[in-house]
Amino acid sequence: MHRAILIVSLLVPVFAWGQSELLEAPPSSVNALQDRAYRLQNEFTVMVGFLPSDPYTKGVFAQGGYAFHFNDYFGIQARGAYAFSLPTSLRNQLERDFTVLPTAFSRVLFFVGGDLIFRPLYGKLSVGNRFVVHGEVHLLGGGSGFAFTDGLTPSIRPAIDIGGGGRLFLGKNASLRLDLVNHIVLAAPGSMTGITNVLAINFGLAVNFGGTE
Amino acid sequence: MLRLFVCATTLVSALSLAQQPAAKPADPVTGDAPAPADAAPAPASASDGGVAAAAAMGSGSTGTGAAPVAAPPPAPKKIDPKLFDDALNDYFAGNPKAAAPKLFDYTENVPSTDENYAWAQFFLARSLIELKLHHAGAVYLSRIARERTNPQVLTRALEELQQLTDRPHDEAMIDEQVFGALDLGFLSEDVAGYAHYQQGLVDLRVGNERWATTHFSKLPEGSAEASRAKYAMLVTRLKQARKDLPKEMVDQFFELAKDEKLTREARNDAMLAVARLRYEAADFTGALEAYNLVKLGPLEPGRAALYLEEAWTRYQLGQVHAAMGLLTTLDAPSFREEFLPDKFLLKALIYRDLCHYLPAKRSAKELTRRYAESLDAVRERDDLTRDPRLLRAASARGSTQRARKFLESLELEGEQLGRYAGTFGERMFGYMTRVYDLARAEAVRVYQRRLQDSVRVEADKLLRAAEQVRLMEYEVGLKLYERVKKGSKLVALIEEEPLKANQVSFKFADEYWNDELRTYRFSLKSRCIEETAR
Repeated sequence: MHRAILIVSLLVPVFAWGQSELLEAPPSSVNALQDRAYRLQNEFTVMVGFLPSDPYTKGVFAQGGYAFHFNDYFGIQARGAYAFSLPTSLRNQLERDFTVLPTAFSRVLFFVGGDLIFRPLYGKLSVGNRFVVHGEVHLLGGGSGFAFTDGLTPSIRPAIDIGGGGRLFLGKNASLRLDLVNHIVLAAPGSMTGITNVLAINFGLAVNFGGTE
Repeated sequence: MLRLFVCATTLVSALSLAQQPAAKPADPVTGDAPAPADAAPAPASASDGGVAAAAAMGSGSTGTGAAPVAAPPPAPKKIDPKLFDDALNDYFAGNPKAAAPKLFDYTENVPSTDENYAWAQFFLARSLIELKLHHAGAVYLSRIARERTNPQVLTRALEELQQLTDRPHDEAMIDEQVFGALDLGFLSEDVAGYAHYQQGLVDLRVGNERWATTHFSKLPEGSAEASRAKYAMLVTRLKQARKDLPKEMVDQFFELAKDEKLTREARNDAMLAVARLRYEAADFTGALEAYNLVKLGPLEPGRAALYLEEAWTRYQLGQVHAAMGLLTTLDAPSFREEFLPDKFLLKALIYRDLCHYLPAKRSAKELTRRYAESLDAVRERDDLTRDPRLLRAASARGSTQRARKFLESLELEGEQLGRYAGTFGERMFGYMTRVYDLARAEAVRVYQRRLQDSVRVEADKLLRAAEQVRLMEYEVGLKLYERVKKGSKLVALIEEEPLKANQVSFKFADEYWNDELRTYRFSLKSRCIEETAR
């Protein structure tokens, strides 16, 4: 009898505990659902960039492009850039002290290509607790054709592009864009040169028509 | 006999002592004779902003701690007419601090018939306003308006006064005594419009709608005052016709809400009126549309009342998740101090409707817990103005809020005045101190009077909510222990709106962003079984 009472008295709190679990509210969540403030469709870009990876010749380039965004996540872009070369002190020293010929250094003349754009991150930032700015991060992948020259003969080489960038929206139609793309330039058919990495950092203004316009 | 003689002597000397203050000379600063010591405090004199009365009361400090007891001021001295030119030079050179004491000296020592007297008062007022002593400036501008010694100055003074009404100001001195009592024949169109508007408002306040209509009808069609007058008329009619609301009133408010001549705040008020009228008429969809049309500035948090009313509307429409989202908004730091007893009631109702009885009970209890002190104060019949929550709630709305803001601005300016103790000189500083002392005393009186009424309104609101919460607790208590029949099924879930393609969702993590306040959506599944479905 005593045992039964003991078992019952031990079981009662367990049942009560189980019931309180049921009474408690299940986990709830709160989300802020907002209309996407900035959407893109036809985007034109004007950018300036820098090619820092070549130790002998740095490049500064101007790039223009057009991108079509299918939705808020995917788009394609076409771009073309023309580069101006700036010899480094190392190259100058080689040419001056070691009589290396200028034609030994090949440099980027221009490049054109296209990319698939994937925009997985969209968000906003608080600026000094006074303003809210919207931005996004995108990933780029595609191909290009690079024109190199050594001063005498130009050569065209294909490249695979992998990169990413960020965008800060200035308004419904304008945004600032920063891209960082590594162009893996493949060897030209029949050429002795190997794979060359050309890093391009470009920054510029993007003007959008359509989308949230 | 000896005792009788002693009494008589004592009485005679006491009487002569009592007569002594009346023999004092008139105050040359104000031109008013001081009031007898035992007389009731004189009302604010129309000619000097009530400074004479303040002097007679022997008022203390303004809070600056530098107020001297008013000594008999020196006799008027002869003033060099160049002093006025010097002062103007200082003023136009951007040095109002140097101009003000000179202009004060000038106005105090020349007769009011002097050709530059009114101009000196005007520039003194301007200087004081530029020194952020707005009330002192308003006192001089009001004096110009009442004395009317120079028509040119009068027009400019009225324009300045009109601008001062945009900030906390002495409503009795400017709105009622100046604009409310102005002879309108000689005024320019702008000022006359504003004066007609103010006089109409005064008439509306005393319940004379016909006279108000006469004033409002003289306002130029399409002017900002005409729109404001329409709004005032509609609000008055709304107050009068509480039970039998004319249907066209909604349209009239709706039209006003789109009137660009009104300030955004007034347009929002009109739109809120539309929403409230539709809600009262059980047109919840229309009410929700009106709430959505209330425009807020970028990153402006908005008003707690707006969110709470919208939450009630959504609740009536069965949008419980959106309603709960809006209640989440009301927990934001911007609204944490708001007095919203209804919030807990609505929260409890939503939990009850989703059959989460324990959270419903908790929400209901939260009201009595949070407002326990205020409820105790009401029950104990304490002075409700001493309860911080009720005090805050009462002084956050309407005329009480205006009175509080004016009092605060006076206190701030009183402190500001202390900085000019050296620059202004003893006489001007003493005078200004008395101006602020009197204004503050009157502002405190007005604020306290308005507070008494509004604190009672808030206490009533709290009591009503507490009563409903008790009913809710009882109802939830019954539900909590209700037996569930065998074979009962859960009711179909209330569908939450899915995320649209053009929408983006930010998960709320106890961090309130002002741009998100209107967009929170709460997600919680219903536990209701079929028998108890709503």
